[in-house]
Amino acid sequence: MGLVQRVLEASGISTVALSMIPDLTRAVGVPRLAGISYPFGRPLGSPHDADSQRAVLRATLEVLASASEPDTDVELPFQWPESPAKARNASKDVVRPPIVELLKMKPWLLANLYSGRIPLVEGQTA
Amino acid sequence: MHLIQMHLVFRRPPVDVASMAIDSYRFLDYASRQIMTAWAARQKPGVIPFTPLSRPLAACTVALISTAGIARNDDRPFDQEGERRNPWWGDASFREIPLGTTENDVRLYHMHIDPRFGESDLDVVLPMRRLTELSREGFVGRPAPTHYSLMGYILDPTELVEKTAPAVADRLRAERVDAAALVPA
Repeated sequence: MGLVQRVLEASGISTVALSMIPDLTRAVGVPRLAGISYPFGRPLGSPHDADSQRAVLRATLEVLASASEPDTDVELPFQWPESPAKARNASKDVVRPPIVELLKMKPWLLANLYSGRIPLVEGQTA
Repeated sequence: MHLIQMHLVFRRPPVDVASMAIDSYRFLDYASRQIMTAWAARQKPGVIPFTPLSRPLAACTVALISTAGIARNDDRPFDQEGERRNPWWGDASFREIPLGTTENDVRLYHMHIDPRFGESDLDVVLPMRRLTELSREGFVGRPAPTHYSLMGYILDPTELVEKTAPAVADRLRAERVDAAALVPA
């Protein structure tokens, strides 16, 4: 996401990233970053909680207005009401992604994922 | 590159003391934390681009870009079969999401998140209604006519950076968008 943001910014559009993994987004190097400690799949908040969603969006867009230089990094003060375990538990019946199934069968390939050595397969853009 | 929801079982180590107030890995399991930390450490940001806001936010046209893998039901889904064939691959294309699209018009094609939250309320991942409300309040100028979605599980970003992002930038400029907010998933 940060890489896309850089391309847009370089093409003349002012951008801000909301990020649930601000460490990673910050490492990529982005013009404006709003970090939030919310669980994956719910970056703006809970479904049908319009007031909280609007507060997160407003705070994110405020970074657009306030930033005067690149690498502006803001931590949004919102607190998720559940523990991480409970937040994850809500999605425990979701089918596991293919990479997880592959790594269960071939755990040594975890080293590739860790090191970023992504195997290419003939005929596919990876 | 974004979200690798690893479900492998690891013994949980003592919690790292984060230097920042937000623990970026709070909602991730141990394997995903280790991978994300390693990926972060390898980034070389170089010069960070910066485009100052061209006008006050209250006069800006604003677009949203989600990485939740949202596609309209009358559009092509993100290619999940391709990822099943090669789990190291992810569909790096983009979809246009016109303003006014709701959860009734879309599906989320992203196998690394729980799609049900965004499919029950699209504003959880692509807050177009909230943006419209902020525009009515006068906080932002107006929502762009078109918003965009990518699918966030992209381990090799070459196509994303060289083709997809420039194509989205062209369309944003064509609709005279001043500012964009990128929303993770």
